[in-house]
Amino acid sequence: MTKLLSVRGVTKAFGSGDRPAVDQVSLECQKGEILAIVGGSGSGKTTLLRIIAGLEIPDAGEIDLNGAVTNAPNAFLPPEKRDCALVFQDYALFPNMTVEQNVFFSKASKQRKLEVDKLLEQTQIAGLRKRFPHQLSGGEQQRVALVRALATQPSLLLLDEPLSHLDPELRDNVRTELLGLFKKTQTTALFVSHDTEDAMAMADRVIVMREGQAIQVGTPAEVYSKPLDRYAALLFGKTNFVPLDLIPNAPHHFQDEDSNEKVVSIRPHDWQVIERDSQSSNSAISGRVSSVRYKGTHMELKIEVETMCILANVETSHGVMEGDEMTVFPTFD
Amino acid sequence: MTFLSIFPKRVFRSLAFEFRFRLNGWTLTGLALGLLVFLPMATVLWNLSNPPENWEHLKETVLGTYLMDSLILVAGTVLLSVLAGVSCAWLVTCCDFPGQKFLEWALVLPLAVPTFIAAYGYFDLLGIIEEKMIPLVIWARTQSPENLDNVIFLLDSLKYPVTILVMASVLYPYVYLLARASFSSQGSRLIEAARTLGYKPRSVFFRVALPLARPAIVAGASLVAMETLNDYGAVKHFGVSTFTIGIFRTWLGLDDLSGALRLASLLMLFILGLLVLERALRAGAKYDESKNARLPFRRYRLGPVGSGLAILCCLVPLAFGFLFPLWRLGSWALSTYEKILDWTFFKLILHSLSLAAISALVIVSAATFLAFVGRYFKNPSIQASNRLAILGYSVPGAVVAMAVLIVSGQINLSLGVILTGSLVTLVFAYLVRFLAVAWQPIDSGMDKNCAHLNEASQSLKSTPLVSLLKVNLPLLRPSLFAAGLLVFIDIMKELPLTLILRPFNFETLSTRTYDLTSQAQIAESSVPALCIILMVILPVVWLNRKMEAKP
Repeated sequence: MTKLLSVRGVTKAFGSGDRPAVDQVSLECQKGEILAIVGGSGSGKTTLLRIIAGLEIPDAGEIDLNGAVTNAPNAFLPPEKRDCALVFQDYALFPNMTVEQNVFFSKASKQRKLEVDKLLEQTQIAGLRKRFPHQLSGGEQQRVALVRALATQPSLLLLDEPLSHLDPELRDNVRTELLGLFKKTQTTALFVSHDTEDAMAMADRVIVMREGQAIQVGTPAEVYSKPLDRYAALLFGKTNFVPLDLIPNAPHHFQDEDSNEKVVSIRPHDWQVIERDSQSSNSAISGRVSSVRYKGTHMELKIEVETMCILANVETSHGVMEGDEMTVFPTFD
Repeated sequence: MTFLSIFPKRVFRSLAFEFRFRLNGWTLTGLALGLLVFLPMATVLWNLSNPPENWEHLKETVLGTYLMDSLILVAGTVLLSVLAGVSCAWLVTCCDFPGQKFLEWALVLPLAVPTFIAAYGYFDLLGIIEEKMIPLVIWARTQSPENLDNVIFLLDSLKYPVTILVMASVLYPYVYLLARASFSSQGSRLIEAARTLGYKPRSVFFRVALPLARPAIVAGASLVAMETLNDYGAVKHFGVSTFTIGIFRTWLGLDDLSGALRLASLLMLFILGLLVLERALRAGAKYDESKNARLPFRRYRLGPVGSGLAILCCLVPLAFGFLFPLWRLGSWALSTYEKILDWTFFKLILHSLSLAAISALVIVSAATFLAFVGRYFKNPSIQASNRLAILGYSVPGAVVAMAVLIVSGQINLSLGVILTGSLVTLVFAYLVRFLAVAWQPIDSGMDKNCAHLNEASQSLKSTPLVSLLKVNLPLLRPSLFAAGLLVFIDIMKELPLTLILRPFNFETLSTRTYDLTSQAQIAESSVPALCIILMVILPVVWLNRKMEAKP
């Protein structure tokens, strides 16, 4: 694979004296890859995206895109000259133009009419050509924005929270559609999301950002099961932070800043219940069940152990009651 | 070296960056235009550093009067305008009484009356009051000479309340409009919330509505202050010696340009001080912004007595600022129109209309270009030069006129083109003075409608020209039209600038009105004065309708 985008040490502060919105971030993106930047609000992910698009000018750092230097201490390529296209969070469709005029706004799209027509067919908006943006549903608007960006044939597609305006029911379909479209058009995409589900479902690699810094990079599975800190672990859903002493055989752990000890992140569904009289494990933990909540596919238990409370998901077939004694041990894939 | 050390290295680096990578034809033109508009003001401010020879003399004799009179007049007019504007705005937005709908738009009508014309409507008011005081003077003379001095001082001070009353009666709509928009937009939901929490109308007004509307009221009050300082005709008529009077007197009366310049630069300092004060008083103006459209709102229903009082309260400013002057001018006009109306008068109307229309076109184009360049390229230096360029609105017309004369005189000298006394100079002076009027709606329209779209079109690799023509202009059409009308109204009403800078023998309706009154032909002056009011009234009503629909 060849390298398409390289970001090195990019920093951007908005007010002098404030914590930088983006702080010494470096990342790389290969051709054909789908990369997700995840983080809570204010983590600087959108600013980073806008810097790559050329809409913000970083205070420091270098960026190369497709062989061209776009940002360097003495170079700046304006957004219109960069080989990338941005899909805005609010889609930024021109309200005074029809779908067709929006899609064929760029010069590049006018030269590739056939291919763009094909894109319109593929995304099922060909029938909406004469409509205006306010006559479209959220999902349709999103597809128009996507086609408008893809029509410029960018080597890198940037998307700002591509799914945040969609209903939960729609999201899953749209994820699949997007992925299919990216593969079909061989698009390299970099998207920003606060929803880790989007990131896990779509991205080849995930970059976790916190307070302007990229704190972890890896495949979704790596980041999910081997977080490098408390923030990254919690970003991807509920988890337990168990001291390493209790689970010495854990394949992965990190130094927790809050408790200042080595801890292991164990997801609720990674616990296995030890049935009475069965095998014992050297990392088994026993405690009293303090609450049982029925969740449909599973039951969510809170197990009080001496110094902490463990969250564990068990199958509904377990006839657990509040107050039961229970022993669980973690499984590592 | 000390100058260099003030600036941190970072500023230098980013400036160098700016110049290397972010300057192009657009931004350079924008920068040049912005600085050109600021140039006259810079010229005036520059004079602060070198006082003229006779400055000490001016300072000892008249400066105190100018300062005192300006302060009294501004303070009084602002106070009275706020009182009338806020109470009327509250009544028509939050109370229900017969005639409320009519008064809601009628209350903006005084906006169509220029201050100097209002003063002519009340030209004999001061005389009448003084006449009534004669018994007092006679009585004082029988008592003691000391008392007589006091009474004479009192009589002389009467000009202040009279001028304040006349000015406030036509300037209060600035406060009224902004306060009304504030009450009816963001206020309404919170006012309803306060009512459901058991607040009585009185405390709703003082504890919720008024604090929320504070930024809007302060903005309106500062407009009133600027207009007061700008006025030339009314203060001259009533004999109040504000800075503008001082500038005219020193410059044209005493033929002392450097002294007048010095006064102008002090006046600019005074106004910059006002602007700083305004900014401080408007702190927290963010909460004035509401995305909600005008919401349906349950008004307070007033009983017969309450309704009567409310109607009276709203009718008083309307009568003072519009009905009475209009009636008076109308009756004079009926008796004199045969003398005034002839072919030259129609030429006059044509002059006024075409001058205002052409200037509005030029100013709206310039404002659109500057706002677009500032927003599209997000270039800090352009944004800074834009800020400087729109300062002109707070500078009185007399100061702008003098500054433009100096600049055009320099151009006369260096380029050998005679600009002074040409229409080009006049239109440029209007541009300096009224750029902000057009810039404000256009820039906020761009911010609201086009910010993301401009980024999108950049990201789609389109050129700035395409974005301007295909995205910004179509979307901004309402803002552009409103901006054009606002400028048109202001230029039709303008007096001091036009008076000084008009080409020889070139007359507009406002200069003719002024000329006639200074020849003591007040009754005759009513015809051009009425013409101004009638031509301005339609745009005023239209703009008001638009503001009501979308606060």
